[in-house]
Amino acid sequence: MSQRQVLQGNYIIAKAALAAGCNFFAGYPITPSSEIAQYMSKEMPKINRAFIQMEDEIASLGACIGASLAGKKSMTATSGPGFSLMQEHLGLAAMAEVPVVIVNVMRGGPSTGMPTKPSQSDIMQTRWGTHGDHPIIALYPAFSDEIFMETIRAFNLAEKFWNPVVLLLDEVLGKAHEDIEIPEPGSYEVFQAAPNQIENLNIYDRNMGENPPRVDFFQGYPIHIDGLEHDSHGWPSFEPKTVDKMQRLRMEKIFHNLDEIIAFKEYEVDDADILLFSFGVSARSALAAVQLAREQGIKVGLFQALTIWPFPRAALQKRMKKSKKVLTIEMNLGQAKYEVERIAPCDVECRTLLRANGVPFNPSEVLQAIKEM
Amino acid sequence: MEKEEQRANEEALERRKARKPSPKANKLTLVPLYCKGCGLCVHICPTGTLQLVDAPKNKWGISVVAEAENYCIACKMCEYQCPDFAIFVNYEQDKNEGAK
Amino acid sequence: MRDYEKYIRYRTFPTPWCPGCGDGVILKSIAMAFSELKLDPNEIIVVAGIGCSGRMPTYFNTNTLHTTHGRALTFATGIKLARPEKLVVVISGDGDALAIGGNHLIHAARRNIGIKMILINNGIYGMTGGQVSPMTPPKFITETTPYGNIEPQFHVTELLIASRATFVARETVNRLLPLKQVIKKSFQHPGFSVVEVMSNCHINLGRRNKMKHPLTMTKYIEENTLKKEDYEKLSFEERGQKFPVGTFVEDLDRLEYSDLYYNHIVPLAKQSQQGGKS
Repeated sequence: MSQRQVLQGNYIIAKAALAAGCNFFAGYPITPSSEIAQYMSKEMPKINRAFIQMEDEIASLGACIGASLAGKKSMTATSGPGFSLMQEHLGLAAMAEVPVVIVNVMRGGPSTGMPTKPSQSDIMQTRWGTHGDHPIIALYPAFSDEIFMETIRAFNLAEKFWNPVVLLLDEVLGKAHEDIEIPEPGSYEVFQAAPNQIENLNIYDRNMGENPPRVDFFQGYPIHIDGLEHDSHGWPSFEPKTVDKMQRLRMEKIFHNLDEIIAFKEYEVDDADILLFSFGVSARSALAAVQLAREQGIKVGLFQALTIWPFPRAALQKRMKKSKKVLTIEMNLGQAKYEVERIAPCDVECRTLLRANGVPFNPSEVLQAIKEM
Repeated sequence: MEKEEQRANEEALERRKARKPSPKANKLTLVPLYCKGCGLCVHICPTGTLQLVDAPKNKWGISVVAEAENYCIACKMCEYQCPDFAIFVNYEQDKNEGAK
Repeated sequence: MRDYEKYIRYRTFPTPWCPGCGDGVILKSIAMAFSELKLDPNEIIVVAGIGCSGRMPTYFNTNTLHTTHGRALTFATGIKLARPEKLVVVISGDGDALAIGGNHLIHAARRNIGIKMILINNGIYGMTGGQVSPMTPPKFITETTPYGNIEPQFHVTELLIASRATFVARETVNRLLPLKQVIKKSFQHPGFSVVEVMSNCHINLGRRNKMKHPLTMTKYIEENTLKKEDYEKLSFEERGQKFPVGTFVEDLDRLEYSDLYYNHIVPLAKQSQQGGKS
């Protein structure tokens, strides 16, 4: 029997993480994500799982990567300033192919910004924040049931693709109390990689597009894991052919498997002339505006991205064949709009509705923007 | 050979002159592939058994030989000191250079 | 085959360190300590930061992890809390542990998490070409202090004592047998242990300061370190730039962090779940 509760967004993430098997949490308090750490500190010792509050965000992600390499499913939660600090270790997780889930409850930025106001301005940083070529998976739920399922999916994708996964959420949704029907355990898939998969020291060896076996310590093989560029054994190597192959392997394991990673929701898009593209709390306003506009006879639909990175290019391009006007709605001064413009064919008109002053969009404002298209 | 290395050699010779050959025969195994000729073992050997020599074929141009193996008293300080695992005292078997 | 050789990865030899570098001597001491304690290589993990000392894990035939600059202790904390029964060794240089990583050193000591740290102090940033570090002696010439170093050194041992560390020791690369003994003792200590090893970087520090051979630089270290008992007898002026060696703190009473967590906090939490509302 599934339970219906009224829960804060942050608590939904924490409950979903425990349901997904998260057994290591290292965090640092920051508004608006401290509740996740607080819930974990209370619940994890009850079921013999590890929780620790570290001395800063850099240490938090470091401890999570260390625990992941020792065989745990680890998670940390932060916001803008902490996420900026974590970039170096995010790069290490991408380079050493370590699964870890990082929750970024976005607040007004840059710098200290507006700790108690929402914004959607970390989207480009999530993709490109750390230096070097690296793939990133970023999930972005909007409704309370999506918050639960996307957290579970974040852990599954991290375990499957051996990459850090960023779970984005808006401050206002992290703090709001909403009703949610918690699904029964067993009604959703929790992916657990098979243990003891290493057979020799050639830990990263695989074909282009495949995922490596579970690479973690204490399996009986003296393996070496490094942030330096390495060959398939993990030994540091700068030999050009080896480096080229390893870099492409890391990118292709994500880009070869987009069908499994990309998720989105479409509302009334089949006959839409105008397409709204949005995510997070802006998507909720956009959905209400779509319903208002349809009542007035305007043919408009909503494409809500649940996976923001890798960008849902193919699916959006498919809709752009019918809808020749696209309106990107985001609470920043223009970030996802660059991706939309980049993938749009020449005959599609791309417009934006942007605002970054901490006030989410009212459906009537979105309706006004639709009418101006 | 630098003057510090020559001085290390001379001091080792002086230590050797003040002693007699060791009553028990001890075997020193050197690994020329790993030896970088730093001279730390020459300096620490209490009986002056080891000496630095020029070795043009060695990557560092200098290496260590056990010039007076009969003076070795198997104190093993050279083995404890060597940073490159290039010297062993009374090793049980022949050492293959560059073994895995 | 010597027993300590089973802890070494020979496939990567010869080592990249300069001839006579103290890092090689410490590598051997640690391998000998593992061997004398009869440890299983699968039960050990060696974590290091960046720098010449950070290349050391590549040569250990155990689980090894090479992390970012200054943050090795954070990864080790995660590993120790995830697998408390394993031996977690952290190897760090003076720039890695005291400059960028100083904060993590304080908190690892304060928590008393069961990590065994070997802090290799050679007074310079060697790998990047010889820049000044927090432990470079005053007035020395380095790449970033071409007119002389105007910053003083400090005693890490005192910082660790203030951070409530439970095992603090200092040794040098000249004193081989005491070095191996203290490393062995630190591995057997249950809580957080730090062994600071004064080492020589004759190529990057010594060469610019008239000590370009390992033998002259190790002589400099010998002249500037003395036993703890003798150091305490000196007056303040006589102490100057010298460092005492020995074991400064050995506290066996304080409980280790993962021990406290799994054997005190977890039962407490389980009790509260049965007693009251969850």
